[in-house]
Amino acid sequence: MEPLSDTLWDVVICGTGLQQSLLALALSRSGKKILHIDPNEFYGGAEAALSLQEAEQWVGRISSGTGGGLFRAAAVSRSEDDTRLSPSRAYSLALAPTVIHARSALLSQLVSSRAYRQVEFLAVGAFYIFKPPQDPAQKPTLARIPSTREEVFSTTAVATKSKRLLMKFLKFVLDYEASPQRELWQPHADAPLTDLLRQEFKMDAELQTYILTLTLSLDDRISTRDGLAVIHRHLSSMGVYGPGFAALYPKWGGLSEIAQVSCRAGAVGGAVYMLATGIKETESTDDGVKLLLTSGDSVKARMLVRADDSPNHNQLSIRRLVAVVDSPLSSLFEAAVEGAPKPAVAVIAFPVGSVEEASGTESQRPIYLSAHSSDTGECPAGQTDALDLALQAFLRAVPEDRVPKVLFKLQYDQLDGGSESLGSHGPVFTFPTRSSPLSFDDSVLEPVREVWKKMMGDAAVEAEYMVFEDREGAVDDDDVY
Amino acid sequence: MADSNAPKPSSSVKLVLLGEAAVGKSSLVLRFVNNDFQENKEPTIGAAFLTQKCNLPTRTIKFEIWDTAGQERFASLAPMYYRNAQAALVVYDLTKPTSLIKAKHWVAELQRQASPGIVIALVGNKLDLTNTGPGGGGDADGAGAEDSGDARKVTTEEAKTYAEEEGLLFYETSAKTGYNVTEVFTAIANAIPETSLKTARGPGASHAGGRAEEQRVNLNGPRDSNAKEACAC
Repeated sequence: MEPLSDTLWDVVICGTGLQQSLLALALSRSGKKILHIDPNEFYGGAEAALSLQEAEQWVGRISSGTGGGLFRAAAVSRSEDDTRLSPSRAYSLALAPTVIHARSALLSQLVSSRAYRQVEFLAVGAFYIFKPPQDPAQKPTLARIPSTREEVFSTTAVATKSKRLLMKFLKFVLDYEASPQRELWQPHADAPLTDLLRQEFKMDAELQTYILTLTLSLDDRISTRDGLAVIHRHLSSMGVYGPGFAALYPKWGGLSEIAQVSCRAGAVGGAVYMLATGIKETESTDDGVKLLLTSGDSVKARMLVRADDSPNHNQLSIRRLVAVVDSPLSSLFEAAVEGAPKPAVAVIAFPVGSVEEASGTESQRPIYLSAHSSDTGECPAGQTDALDLALQAFLRAVPEDRVPKVLFKLQYDQLDGGSESLGSHGPVFTFPTRSSPLSFDDSVLEPVREVWKKMMGDAAVEAEYMVFEDREGAVDDDDVY
Repeated sequence: MADSNAPKPSSSVKLVLLGEAAVGKSSLVLRFVNNDFQENKEPTIGAAFLTQKCNLPTRTIKFEIWDTAGQERFASLAPMYYRNAQAALVVYDLTKPTSLIKAKHWVAELQRQASPGIVIALVGNKLDLTNTGPGGGGDADGAGAEDSGDARKVTTEEAKTYAEEEGLLFYETSAKTGYNVTEVFTAIANAIPETSLKTARGPGASHAGGRAEEQRVNLNGPRDSNAKEACAC
């Protein structure tokens, strides 16, 4: 097999995060010579899913300041009861536990590129709101957010007057781009969504919180324009792939699985893969770049594509916590309606002010907890991994027979990259990096398409982007899923 | 493989290929699937996976055979490759002792990463390059052997002993002549426990039990047909 240095690569892709992996998928039938490397020993970059041991090593690297990328302040802890943890590899903890709405362009691309055949998708179930108790002696509770007409009708958590308001709003959002709805919200477009809800829909604070939660935004002052777009996506995604759910989660670690499947498609198309290999030095040449890899190999390429890993320190970072608890939390994962698939993920929102922080002050930002059942394949049966600062409050609120215990915790801060859009310096392209929001944001797909277009040059046909036939042998008669 | 037209229970089995580059992994599969052999074949196979049925007296096993697609070259296989695999073919080149060392590494990796009940077959390929008959036990010291046109460097005894210690199926094959190739796959098919065939996708999914099937969301279904009725409009 010829050494790496003997090839003039059309592109070297550095990193196997979602964007780089999707680029590998997009180029997998192009015949381009592709070298795809990653400094990590695992696939997925900031979207990776880690075993317990990998998580501990990862935290070690961030703490020692080597190769932490955009991650900071990582810590890991095991309970004293850690004998109840299964072997390290029984876990697959997602660093970015992003759910994908049914109307997301990501799903369309996975279907048209045939990559979806190797991914098992599970339903995301109900969205809940955490409610602190009126009386401190009582348990906090979780209230299910009604987000379909049927649910609004049947819920007992909302008063009849509020039901009418909710119904009116849901109907409004479903066709919000058309007239006369458009005229109603346009004047408020850049103002917080809550202003619209209060002024035009006469909603009280509680109803406003319900609606705000459907945006899954970390910004409780999300604008009307952005907020309506996200809620519209949520409502129009409902029922697309089956009754009673709007979003999907890939089994075995979410976006990590999509990165792995995309890289495999790249490999099947002839790309060469090297994990645990980064770039030491980059030098521009007349016809591209010369790279010295950490493996000691020196390679030449026409193009280099990587992700922005220089943090923007002014940018709000996201703080995350992954915890494994010793309870299946079965009450959260019940099918919403008859005939619906059993959900594997539930989302619980903690509105601003609903959690008291250690200092005695109330939480200043919304907190979201994404509870994953063992059906996600991320932890053994009987355990659940959850994400939150409000974890303890949640564990008290969840209606189980006993308060679940935390067995393992991983926490970290994640910064955004400094650049806003695709960076391009001669043959070097840099993807902008944003920490994955709770629900997949299609805007991360655009830079991938841009790079693909640049790579393909005149051969780029937009309509053929990510549209592939099944690979020979993959078409199957009776057990396609 | 016995031919039969009677309807028999049919199950899909994911089989992963492992082994050092150029030991003949893809060639073994091409021989099994197409009864074909290509001298100087390009390293990658160009398919997500290949399928081939194996008819047993009481059931039909449909192998989904996953090639490493070259990701083994720099030890860069993803967990999704091993996931739900019910069988593995670990291949070495019996003219190349280092390839057996590599094979042992892959066996260890499978024991670490794959489902506990996985059926592993250790296969010494390129038997056509030796002049010892099958099971004959060639000379481990290659110096004398090369003169006689025998390139064998790994004795049958050595590999067989290792396979027995680890509880692996063991065969020596030639993808070039087809010798023992079908036998390997038939032996694997026979070794897969009936119980793990009950669920459609194998032991990796079995902790979710029979629910796994009804839980999976099918993206191939009618994407838009019932969206309108179920939504909140």
